[in-house]
Order: sequence, then structure tokens, then C-alpha cells
Amino acid sequence: MFPDSEAIFDAHEFTDMKVLVVEDEKGLAESIVDYLSKEGFVCEVANTFWQADEKISLYQYDCTIVDLTLPDGDGFNIVQTLKKIAAATGIIIISARNTLEDKIKGLEIGSDDYMTKPFHLSELNARVKSLIRRRNFGGNNDMVWKEIRVQLPSRKVFIDEKDTVLSRKEYDLLLYFLSNIDVALTKEAIAEHLWGDHMDSSDSLDMVYSHIKNLRRKILEKGGKDYIQSIYGIGYKFTAP
Amino acid sequence: MKLLEKTSRIYLLASLVIYVAVGIAFYWITTFMIYDEVESRLMVEKRDFESYLQTNNTWTNNSYFVENKIEVVPVFGEFENEATFTDTLIYNRYEESMDPFRQLTFYTMIGGSPYRVAIRKSIVESYKLIEAISAAMITFLALLMVGMFFFQRNLSGKLWRPFYGSLARIKDFDWTRNNKLEFESSEISEFNELNEVMVKMASKMQHDYKSLREFTENASHEIQTPLALINARVEQFIQSQDLSENQTHWIEEIYHAARRMSRLNQGLLLLAKIENQQFTEQESIDLAALIIARLKDFEDIITHKNITIHTETKGSFVKKMSPALAEIMVTNLVSNAIKHNYTDGKLTILTGNNFFVLSNTGHELKADPERLFERFKKESAQAESVGLGLAIVKQICDNYELHIDYRNVDSLHSIRVFA
Repeated sequence: MFPDSEAIFDAHEFTDMKVLVVEDEKGLAESIVDYLSKEGFVCEVANTFWQADEKISLYQYDCTIVDLTLPDGDGFNIVQTLKKIAAATGIIIISARNTLEDKIKGLEIGSDDYMTKPFHLSELNARVKSLIRRRNFGGNNDMVWKEIRVQLPSRKVFIDEKDTVLSRKEYDLLLYFLSNIDVALTKEAIAEHLWGDHMDSSDSLDMVYSHIKNLRRKILEKGGKDYIQSIYGIGYKFTAP
Repeated sequence: MKLLEKTSRIYLLASLVIYVAVGIAFYWITTFMIYDEVESRLMVEKRDFESYLQTNNTWTNNSYFVENKIEVVPVFGEFENEATFTDTLIYNRYEESMDPFRQLTFYTMIGGSPYRVAIRKSIVESYKLIEAISAAMITFLALLMVGMFFFQRNLSGKLWRPFYGSLARIKDFDWTRNNKLEFESSEISEFNELNEVMVKMASKMQHDYKSLREFTENASHEIQTPLALINARVEQFIQSQDLSENQTHWIEEIYHAARRMSRLNQGLLLLAKIENQQFTEQESIDLAALIIARLKDFEDIITHKNITIHTETKGSFVKKMSPALAEIMVTNLVSNAIKHNYTDGKLTILTGNNFFVLSNTGHELKADPERLFERFKKESAQAESVGLGLAIVKQICDNYELHIDYRNVDSLHSIRVFA
């Protein structure tokens, strides 16, 4: 829209963004906090409903991750309160409840996303980032890393400023990598990100392999470096060589 | 047959039998009375006749009159001297008809020789009387019967009204909701007892439904949360640079085991929810269209495996069912047909009036086809597969009275779902 004034962010675009994690399982909350902190987020934890209620009334967060089942209350109420007092906060529900009704209810009362447990931290990370981008920049900014630039609204990819045509899944895959730079991603996490969790066959892992091969080839063809590193037995990592 | 109709029929039949019996008895009694009367009068005339003979010792046949006709005929040879009553018909010369008469025949001596004497009395008037009485009786009995019929119908309707009210409430009762089953109290204690029992049963059903529902929700939370923790810790663990090959292998196994457990748990809980009929929402769903729509989700894998899709539509299969369960059923079937397919294989979707068939190429079944829809029947040794997909489909079919069967036609695995 305004090419001159377009903000260009590097991988640390999320530094100092504040995230509240509402989760009663302490280990899981800790894992989420560790993972997101490495990505530059400033994280706080609430283990109970009342702690969460207090924190959201005192502080401003860019994103809140809410578990629905809390020992002393219902996560849905936190979502409702947040919508009332801090409408700018992005909300992601994480819950073991996987019924369609719960998902619809969650989205209806104002959460931006709904993830069912167990989920991949890399997926949560990607969704938190995408949510903040949408909320803060209306999704109008570019994602830039080294010689790779992704124009989010038009879904265009430039390598070394050269227009690179990617298939829909290759584009999704690149974006997932760019949201999880320097992070080892399992093949299963990638497959789930691309096709959802109904594809639980070995075929989907083959497909991950072939998409990665294509993406790597296309980046190399346009003069980019090979950033996709295979990790034996586990998956892949997008990192500077 | 409705209760009211049944009682009406029984009443009608019973009263008809009684009506006929009463009619016959009445007719018989009246006839008997009339005969008795006529015969006693004939006996009186016989005595008159005999006393006339005693004084005059002679008799002239005067056969001009129809009534009180006395016929005297001389007899020759042997005879049994006894008096008998018989019915006879005499020609009525004015009305040109045969009229019924009662006749008393006896023997007597006139002027020294034996004569047979027959005294007759017309009973045509009596027959007219019987007819009149019968007609009146038929009319009154019929009126009585019709009246009683409507009375008892009305009465039964009133008496059973609380019962029908209760029945309507029981039909409307939905144990998946919180509304209690309530009845209006009736004057009849049997109905009140029935209502009490129904209320007890209904609240037990609601309680069971609710506790199973809560159990599935809690079990889901309590199991999925630790699994989420394992998953998260594994993800963090694999970030470290210096993992040995062994450690990588172990961690991979832990990761896969946790994923499998999570799928297993979700599958079993889904089965429990379907069995508990927790999916109450209902919509008319075009299953053929749904299959085609779901195929789109598998576009990538279909291209990847180079599977040829062939669809043929011969009719529509619209079923009223939960949209969520319809999705699960169709997704599981399509996923199954693709997962167990060869590369360069085929998938045929045939839909017709109230059925659809998914046929796919694939390895021959190792297990008994009969047991294909049982839980934990795995065809592949894939670590990720938990063997609940078809069991879930079967359970959904059972819930909606759909049938499912497997056939192997021309080395194609065909699963047919039909109403």
C-alpha cells in the first residue's frame, strides 16, 4: 500500500512483545514460556483463574494463551473479560477439549485461535507470531530474513529481490520455517501444520520430504543459500549455514 | 391398534353377542307364552265340545268359519286315543295367503262310532304381536347399544387422558438436556405410580448421561494435558545440538508413543461420546456431496500418490444426522481408502439412492473381513495408526441405523454404507 513507509522487520520483530500464558499444568506453562522467550517474547505465567484475572486487569499483553480447564474457573470467562477490558490483546485458546462446539464457542466469544492439546510448540509459536502480525500491522508488513522477503498480503516471495513462484504448500512451509528460525522441527509437526491432524499416515511424511526438496530447489535456483538443514531421525531446521 | 379403538371393538363385539342372545331368548319366551295361551284355550274348547256332545250326542260340520274351526272326521281301523297339538297352515280365502293355525287333535265317540276331532285356532294375530314386540325390542336395544358405546368411549377417553398426557411428555423428554421430566398429578393412583417410576428412570438417565459426559471431558483433559507436556518437553529436548544417535532414536520413540497415545485417547473418547449420544445436533446432510467436499482436503496426498479418482452419481443420499459425525465418518472412510491405497492406485466413489460405495485398490486384507470394523483391528503396522477409524465409522452408522459392509470385488476393497 505504502511501499516507502512499509516497515521491514527482521527475525527479532517480536522482541518485547508481552505474552501471558494461562495454564495450570506448571511443566507445560514452563515449556511454553521457555520456547517463546527464546523467540524474543516477554512471557508471564498465571497458573490459576484468579491469578490470570488479576494480571489481565493490571497489565497489557499483546497476546494471551488461555487454557480452558482451570482448577478454579473456566477459561472462557477470561476470554470474555479480556474482550471487555483489553480488546487489542490477541487470544489463543489451548485446550484438551476437541469438540466442534467448544471450538465454535471459543471463536464466537472472541478468541482468535483454538489449539487442541497436545500441540507442537513450534505451531503455537507460529500462530502467536501470525496473530500479533495481523493485529499490529494488519498483516501488511513484509517478513524478511537474509535474502528472503515474503510479502504477506499478496503471498509473494522474493529471493534476492527476484520473484519466486511457490506452490501454496511450499509458501506455507516457508512461512512456518521463517516463524521458527533455528528451531528443530519434527516431520510430524510440519505435516500437521500443512495438512491438519487428519493426515496421520506415513504418506504425509513422504509429502513433507518432497515439498522440502522443492522449496530448497526453488530457493537455490533464485540464488538463495541452502538454509534447510536435515536432522537425522527428527526432521528439519531452518538456519543460517 | 390404539387403546381406545381396542376397548371399543371389544365392547362392540361383546354387546353384539349379548344382544343376539337376549333377542333369541326373548323371541323364544314370547313364542312359548303365546303357544301356552292358545293351547289352554284349545283345551277349554275341547271341554266345551265334549259337553256339547254329551247333551246332544250329535255334531254337524259347519266349516264355513275360518276361526274356531272344528273338523270332525270318522275314523276306521285302529287309532291311538290321545290328544296332540300340531302346527298347520290353512288357506285364507280373502287374503289369498296361508295362515298359521294351532290345532288340537283328539278322538271321541259320536253316536257309537269313533271320530277324529281337530279344533284349530289362528295364531296369525299372535305372530303379528311377536313381530311388533321384536321390532320394538330391536330398536330399543340398538339405541341402548349405540348409547352405551359412545358413553364408554367418552368415559375411556376421559379416564386415559392423563395417560396420553404423560406419554406425550415422555416422548418429548430429552435426557441430553437439563429439563426435568414432570407430570401433572392425576386422580388415578396407577397413573401417578407410573409417573413416579418414569420420573425416577428419567432422572437416572439424565444423571448417567451427564456423568459420562463429564467423564469424557475430564478424561480428555487429564490425559491430553500430560501428553502435551511430554510433547513440549520432547520438542525442547531435540533443540539441543549434542544428541547422540541413540538419544535421538529414544526421543523419537517417546515422541511417537506419546502421539499414538493421544490419538488412541481421542479415538476412544470419541467412541464413548458417540455411544453416549452426545452429538445431539441434527441436520439433513447430503453424504455424496460431503464425500466430494472432503476429497479436496486430501488433494495433496492424492496428487502425491497419483491416485486416480473416479466418481459416479446415480442418486442422492441425504441423511438426517449430526454434521460433526457425518464429517468424521466421511473423513475416516476417505482417509482409509487413500492411506491403504497403492501409489498409482484407484479410488472409485459411487453414490446412489440411499447408499454410497468407496472402492479402492490396495494390499490384500490380512485380517478376517468380518472383523474389519472391530476396535484395534489394524491392517498396517504403521506406528501412527491406532486401528479405531473404522470402528468409529461403524459406531456412527449404528447410531443412525445405517448399514455398513465390506466386499472385495475384482480385487478392489469396497466399503458400502446404505440406509
